[in-house]
Amino acid sequence: MFNPRDIIGLLATNIRKTRNPFGVPGSQLNTWWRPAGGFTRRPGAPLLFTGLMYQAIPYLEATTRYLERLEGSPWAEYLRFGRFSRYLPNFLLGRCFSLLTARTGKEKFNGILRSICSLLTKSGVDFFYHPEMDFYSGILLYDLGDQEGFEEHARFVAKALKLHDVKKIITVDPHTTYALKELYPKYIGASFEVEPYFTRLRLPVPEGGSGSRPVTIHDPCFYGRYLNLADAPRQVLRSLGLDYVEVRNCGEFTSCCGGPAESVSPALNREILGRRVAELKASGAPVVTMCPICLANLLKTGLPVEDLASLLDRSWET
Amino acid sequence: MALVNPDFAEELKLYGVDTALECFNCGACAAVCPLIHRQFPRKMIRYAQIGAKEEIMQQAQELWRCLHCGLCTRTCPRQANPGELILGLRRYVVAAWRKG
Repeated sequence: MFNPRDIIGLLATNIRKTRNPFGVPGSQLNTWWRPAGGFTRRPGAPLLFTGLMYQAIPYLEATTRYLERLEGSPWAEYLRFGRFSRYLPNFLLGRCFSLLTARTGKEKFNGILRSICSLLTKSGVDFFYHPEMDFYSGILLYDLGDQEGFEEHARFVAKALKLHDVKKIITVDPHTTYALKELYPKYIGASFEVEPYFTRLRLPVPEGGSGSRPVTIHDPCFYGRYLNLADAPRQVLRSLGLDYVEVRNCGEFTSCCGGPAESVSPALNREILGRRVAELKASGAPVVTMCPICLANLLKTGLPVEDLASLLDRSWET
Repeated sequence: MALVNPDFAEELKLYGVDTALECFNCGACAAVCPLIHRQFPRKMIRYAQIGAKEEIMQQAQELWRCLHCGLCTRTCPRQANPGELILGLRRYVVAAWRKG
């Protein structure tokens, strides 16, 4: 296990410097929207707010590959110097990360965001996107106990959103949804109308079912428990005629995949992940989830797992 | 030997914890916690209740093993909110590190 003080120091430094946990320029991290073309903002339309979570997964994977090697080694001590990364130019860190992250990985996670856009458009939802209004929520600082750092970052994000007169937000992941819906009003007094994308979908009911294999749902803790949103993804699957099977620990009593432990102990993450994978494998069906952290973590085990948005978009097309 | 401080529960309110004394140590949280082999989060909650600050600081690293998955909070029969209590202890420790 790494010293949490070093991890918090490094993350807080990066977030202060670049407004994301990796210390890379936002323009490098957030590129999914470029092929999608322009978005027109109509009065009252909600902002699609990705929270940069899906985009960050290839960077998280690259970081944890190194953290896994470092954990328990004498080199782990040197992580305390990570806070001095504030003296490194952003472009240099960005260049290092681009060498460590594969283009295919970035495309895969960017593709999920494009699927979400496609689903919202096909559902007739009026929304817009602007990369200058899309920020990391700061949730990792909150989870790690850096309340001061979280509130400072949250104020920055809320101020930028208020400046652009954003009132309604569509989110794409459970961590950002929880931060904007519950934590921003509670800790900094900033309130928005926040809804995850799958609650806005209006899908056509197929005749005679989809005929596809059933899937196993892995509920992320934040949707299943913290936000009480376990039913919504099931309703969406049903409305597309997709069957699903439940595992023993599901819905509000879902088991954690171990992802939150990844930054302080990749070994602990592996231990918890192994137990959850055994539960999911018992169903014998491919897994679907709706959280980028869970998705990346489960993919590491070789389990057939897919994001809800990719599955829905593909099923709708067929 | 641990030095106890009955006022610690009051001090923890500054870090968002107001349920420390609700816990009656039934162990339901430890039974459902994914870290089941580590007496977690029960041990830390006990330290918080008796105000064993030194033990909390000495074993602070343990607090970051918590996945913040919320299963303990959902199953707690006393609504003692063990998950948030652990998060509050993290805030307390981070603030102490920064002061120190």
